[in-house]
Amino acid sequence: MPSESARVMSAAEARFRINAPNSKPRHVKIIALDSGSEAVVKHLAQLRWNNATFFIASAFASEPPGRRFSVSGWLSDLAGRTKDLIDEVKGADLVIMVATAGENAQAATLIGEACSLKRVNTTGLILGGGAATDEMLSKTLSQLRPWSLMLVIANSEDYIEDMLIALRA
Amino acid sequence: MLRKEQNDLLTQTGPGTPGGRLFRSYWLPALLAEELPENECPPVRVKLLSERLLAFRDSDGRLGLIDEFCAHRGVSLWFGRNEEKGLRCSYHGWKYDVTGQCIDVPSEPEESGFCRKIMLKSYPLIERGGVLWTYMGPKEQVPPLPEWEFATVPDHQRFVSKRLQECNWLQAMEGGIDSSHVSFLHRGDINTDPLFKGARGNQYNLADARPVFEVVESAGGLYIGARRNAENDQYYWRITQYVLPSFTMIAPRGNHSVHGHFWIPIDDENCWTWSFDYHPIRNLTDAEIAAMRGGKGIHVKCAPGTFRPLANKDNDYQIDRAAQKAGRSYSGVEGFGMQDASIQESMGPIVDRAKENLVSTDNGIIMARHRLLRSIKALVDKGEVPPGVDPAHQRVRSAAVVLPRDQAFKDAAREALMARPGVAPASV
Repeated sequence: MPSESARVMSAAEARFRINAPNSKPRHVKIIALDSGSEAVVKHLAQLRWNNATFFIASAFASEPPGRRFSVSGWLSDLAGRTKDLIDEVKGADLVIMVATAGENAQAATLIGEACSLKRVNTTGLILGGGAATDEMLSKTLSQLRPWSLMLVIANSEDYIEDMLIALRA
Repeated sequence: MLRKEQNDLLTQTGPGTPGGRLFRSYWLPALLAEELPENECPPVRVKLLSERLLAFRDSDGRLGLIDEFCAHRGVSLWFGRNEEKGLRCSYHGWKYDVTGQCIDVPSEPEESGFCRKIMLKSYPLIERGGVLWTYMGPKEQVPPLPEWEFATVPDHQRFVSKRLQECNWLQAMEGGIDSSHVSFLHRGDINTDPLFKGARGNQYNLADARPVFEVVESAGGLYIGARRNAENDQYYWRITQYVLPSFTMIAPRGNHSVHGHFWIPIDDENCWTWSFDYHPIRNLTDAEIAAMRGGKGIHVKCAPGTFRPLANKDNDYQIDRAAQKAGRSYSGVEGFGMQDASIQESMGPIVDRAKENLVSTDNGIIMARHRLLRSIKALVDKGEVPPGVDPAHQRVRSAAVVLPRDQAFKDAAREALMARPGVAPASV
């Protein structure tokens, strides 16, 4: 007599798997940290998503390093409306920070601290990793790494779309 | 998640499928060399990429991989006689050489030349590193010969095994790049398995159970780095290599051998899991070889005379619920290889990825699928040679290193991630 495993692991038995939703929609916030990633995020925002919302923090990148910023006033949606970081992070299941290799990603610190405070997972995504010099990559890495629970260095922009689909964003 | 059509693209590798075309761009491991140990030895049935084939070594030592069935009445040539430069069908005596060319049809006059009109499909079969490799793609696009480091070191520095895995290749391969499962499924085994224990790096694993992952695209595939805190403001990195379509290499431990896998589709519901261990600068010891033969490390003990694991779905993988309950084994299944295989086979022959809920630590898997899909499209649409065909993409190593916190492992460990003849692996 076949074992239970042998009986249930057949293709025929796979037909009896429960065909009902097994998850609720996730709230994913995607934040562009610099002008290069801003264009990518704006393009992504035009596609159809479940619960993904897109933000821009690139204004932060153009500020001189070391300037003190408040938690509010520098994050905006794609229409240019100012958003409160804490409010946005509070309702998120995942925050994805998108940066371009060699660009200033200092906003990652504030976002990362907010996510840490609210116990929200973070993913850092660095674009242009294939073309960047070691120095460029190290600069962006040093800003993102402390605040990313997962960090991806991608050569092409089309990875983000695949990643968001895979994560049911 | 993947949409059904994407899942089909990646999981179907039979003739005429886009995924099959991708696999047919590479030299693939087909048999262990020991399966055809001498001239005129018995032929061996081989199914690869949903094609039924027969491998044999003729009286001159030439290797052949041909259609399994005689062109006359469809009889399996496995019953044939391997004699005098060819394989003769035992039904009516038709005879084929290693290229599949029919060289004798006894019922037809020799001068009629009839036999020259009969030719079976065949693929080249070459021996390298204890493995017989085949290329199943277009004859005009034969790639350079494989240069994976394990296949280029002297024989006594290498051990290779293969085992049947009863599920689609992709879910098996994805286990090889799913670094986050190690802390659960294989918990406890790192410190007891003779092929892993004793390394200093194991202490970093134990001290920091929540690694942080970084996924970086490489020329041939991906680097998947798992970092843990180390002393003096440094990180301990374990860097896995993935090279398209299905090669993975796990970071080494201490002075143990380096190891990895290929997952090669047999058909869409079964694959071969190839497992290799080697050391770039020293012979493997008798104790190491004995442990590997005994199913330790990444290897698995198979039923005598077969490549089917002793623990398999027919015996519920010999799961030991008492060991699981007592904490001696996290899953209750013994050994790394069968822990992985049991879990992966439990998903069913081809897992429905439309139902899965991936999380951010699955980015290695997401990126591998992304690169596979992108490569299939580029191959089918533009005829682009996919990553992993170039021998430069194959000359890679996994690594375990301790690095300053601000450094990109891809750059700081650049040399450690390349195969360098005569140089020890970077291992902690």
